[in-house]
Amino acid sequence: MMRVLRWAGLIAVLATMTYPLAWMIAVSLRTADGVSLRYYAEVWQAGPFDRYFINSVIVAVVVLVGNIVFCTMAGYAFARFSVRGGKLLFFLVLSTIMLPKQVILVPLYILMQRMGMIDTYWALTLPFLVDPFNIFLIRQYLLGIPPDCEEAARIDGAGEFSVLFRVVFPMLKPVLAVVAIHTCLTNWNSFLFPFILTNSTSMRTLPVGLALLSQGAHSVDWGHLMAGAVISALPVVAAFLVFQRRIIGGLTAGMSR
Amino acid sequence: MKRRPLSPVFWFLLPWAVIYGAFFVFPFVFSFVLGFLQYNPLNVGASRFVGGANVARLAHDTAFLGALRNTLLFVLGTVPVTTGLALGLAWMLKERVPLKDFIKAAMFLPSILSMVVIALLFKLFYAPGGALNEVLARAGIAGHGWLTDPSTALPAIMAMDVWAAVGYYALVLYAALTSIPEPLYEAATLEGAGAWATFRHVTFPLLKPAIGFVLVINTIRSFQVFVEVLVMTQGGPLGSTNTLVMLLYDTAFRRLDYGYASVIAYAVFILSGIFSVVAMRRMRSETASRPGGAAA
Repeated sequence: MMRVLRWAGLIAVLATMTYPLAWMIAVSLRTADGVSLRYYAEVWQAGPFDRYFINSVIVAVVVLVGNIVFCTMAGYAFARFSVRGGKLLFFLVLSTIMLPKQVILVPLYILMQRMGMIDTYWALTLPFLVDPFNIFLIRQYLLGIPPDCEEAARIDGAGEFSVLFRVVFPMLKPVLAVVAIHTCLTNWNSFLFPFILTNSTSMRTLPVGLALLSQGAHSVDWGHLMAGAVISALPVVAAFLVFQRRIIGGLTAGMSR
Repeated sequence: MKRRPLSPVFWFLLPWAVIYGAFFVFPFVFSFVLGFLQYNPLNVGASRFVGGANVARLAHDTAFLGALRNTLLFVLGTVPVTTGLALGLAWMLKERVPLKDFIKAAMFLPSILSMVVIALLFKLFYAPGGALNEVLARAGIAGHGWLTDPSTALPAIMAMDVWAAVGYYALVLYAALTSIPEPLYEAATLEGAGAWATFRHVTFPLLKPAIGFVLVINTIRSFQVFVEVLVMTQGGPLGSTNTLVMLLYDTAFRRLDYGYASVIAYAVFILSGIFSVVAMRRMRSETASRPGGAAA
């Protein structure tokens, strides 16, 4: 009885989860003259989703590199050095992980405007280079590793920066994979801040471009909209299919501790 | 006296401190100050200090009260449902089931998609000629303009949110569920405990911290509901889906009323804080709660 219930439940879940996605793909491919990639070609060129795509890639890469370097430095400092006020600073990091980001939306917009950064790559990347969640992940990971290798390197006369980047950095691979997944996903899908901080078509990212396409004359032009949606989703879905276990594990296991 | 070189910690923390200070701490404080101003974006010098006037406005502003009501409905209507369903799904996954990896992947998929993509997908799903009405028509039920009827627009967006969020939380709870040591279940079985008693007295108490975590992050996230509304209904019909962040966006970037927008932003921040603390209190682990006060 329990077993039947469980089975029925899981089949229902599978259907509910995949049906809307299958529908999305079907609509994007069904054109007036049969199944074709016409809508894809059209939004790619006239959308212009080619530009949005490039912008999304640039933002994702810059933000990823920034987070890997700067969050590693900060996480390492918080894990290994005790300085006056260090605990307080780390508490500041922790408390902002959960903070609704809308609180800083208006002032950040004003600040960016005053600095002349609205509608530039600066506005799309600079504020997102150090995600407090990444600092937290790296610090926690380091606390689980004894500092023996670092001590040994110091005794051999290595400077602090080479201890960090030559000795510690390679040991961080597993946690940096999680940092990379989290950072790429968050920024690839981010809408609110890129939407507010840019205003020309040439600076929009994929989610913003897609949302704007749905607001204008194309609001019920489902074929083009769904093609745009598939283009936006494709890179993350492809990455997900390849690194499935790692992504699910990295973003769920131990999250609740 | 010999001058000591600046410690390496300083250099390690510097990039974080500069970026964080400039683009987070400063705007956070500035936002608070803005709440007391009638900020003039075209001529900053002409901005006026208006004291608590912006805060006082909240109580009489029907747009704010409507958005507050809709947001609370959204949070209270989705978070418990999502958590309950997620718990059920996690429990279903616990046993040996075929295609488990595939099912997990399907459940996780919505959480890697942009909310814009999901919102568009459901706008089509709910549309007059969309998938939902098509399925209903096959069952002989008349179609409905789900997003154009003020009484169904918000529930439709809420249902979408549950769909989009439940898989992720189910997998978080599943990870916590599988970390419960097997001997505890064996002991419960030896004691003659049935499935419900085992869940009630073994599984649930040990899952409490994980459930608390799920409740808190989902509550905070749900208070921020915005893109969904912007893409699907623009806050309409008749303001029935206008949420706090939608109103914040409207106030700041369509009406350029930065001071009042900052007050709304702080309202979102304070409300989600209060709700999170309540959720966390209720879900504190058994050992940490007062003796005798352990019942959930």
